[in-house]
Amino acid sequence: MADRNFFGITTAEREKVFMTLYKKAFPAVAKYVSKMGGSFDGAKDIFQDALVIYYEKTVSASIELQTNEQAYVLGIAKHLWAKKFRENVLHTSLDTYRDDIMDEEDMQPSPAKLLHYLETAGQKCMEILKAFYYDNLPVNKITELFGYSGVRSATVQKYKCMEKVRETIKEKNLAYEDFIE
Amino acid sequence: MRISLNEIKLIDDHIFNQGTHEDALLLDALLILNPALSNQIRWQKKAHTIIKQYGRKKLKAEIESVHRKLFHEPIHQSFRLRILRLFRPG
Repeated sequence: MADRNFFGITTAEREKVFMTLYKKAFPAVAKYVSKMGGSFDGAKDIFQDALVIYYEKTVSASIELQTNEQAYVLGIAKHLWAKKFRENVLHTSLDTYRDDIMDEEDMQPSPAKLLHYLETAGQKCMEILKAFYYDNLPVNKITELFGYSGVRSATVQKYKCMEKVRETIKEKNLAYEDFIE
Repeated sequence: MRISLNEIKLIDDHIFNQGTHEDALLLDALLILNPALSNQIRWQKKAHTIIKQYGRKKLKAEIESVHRKLFHEPIHQSFRLRILRLFRPG
């Protein structure tokens, strides 16, 4: 099973890991993109998307932790590069890696205004939910990170936050018409 | 936990395929008793989509911060030059 804590718990710990990955893997990706006629900015975009995918796969334990991250990240980047050109679309990269749990409707881009609203009106909740669902941190680490008295308090808070976000989405009606920019 | 929070857990287990067979049967029964529950499932899936977007946005900001350091701080000059050399016109 992959080490879900490989990327660390805090932002500072993740920064160290990303710095190491950047130094180890970016040169190979940049070389490849350059060889394929791409630009520095193109290499940067592809590489950063590849890092996001690598992160998501690792923390969700859907892949084994790679002993050769350089080769693995390069592989993702090559796939993204090929797909970008096959579809001739500039920003499709991350959308190609769908979650099995999401149906097609749910993977449509959510309105930016709703995300912005939740970021400002409920940032603490969004951070807690991110820690649980996106970063997949163990509940004891989340308890520590957010200063809860115990694992049970943290778990109850997770569901309270989910209730709050769900109700907000319901109120704002995700039929999108209220949020069309 | 409050009943509504237990319902959220039950829906989460359904979405992530983590519940027991009994949980699945309970959810089926609740859906028969309360058809509006299917909307709650829909909103909860949307919530997960929004959380994922939020997570990606924050993660990309962290990665971008690393990129800025590598390509602007003097300590990383040799790395920067090594990369930029690859994109110099021939």
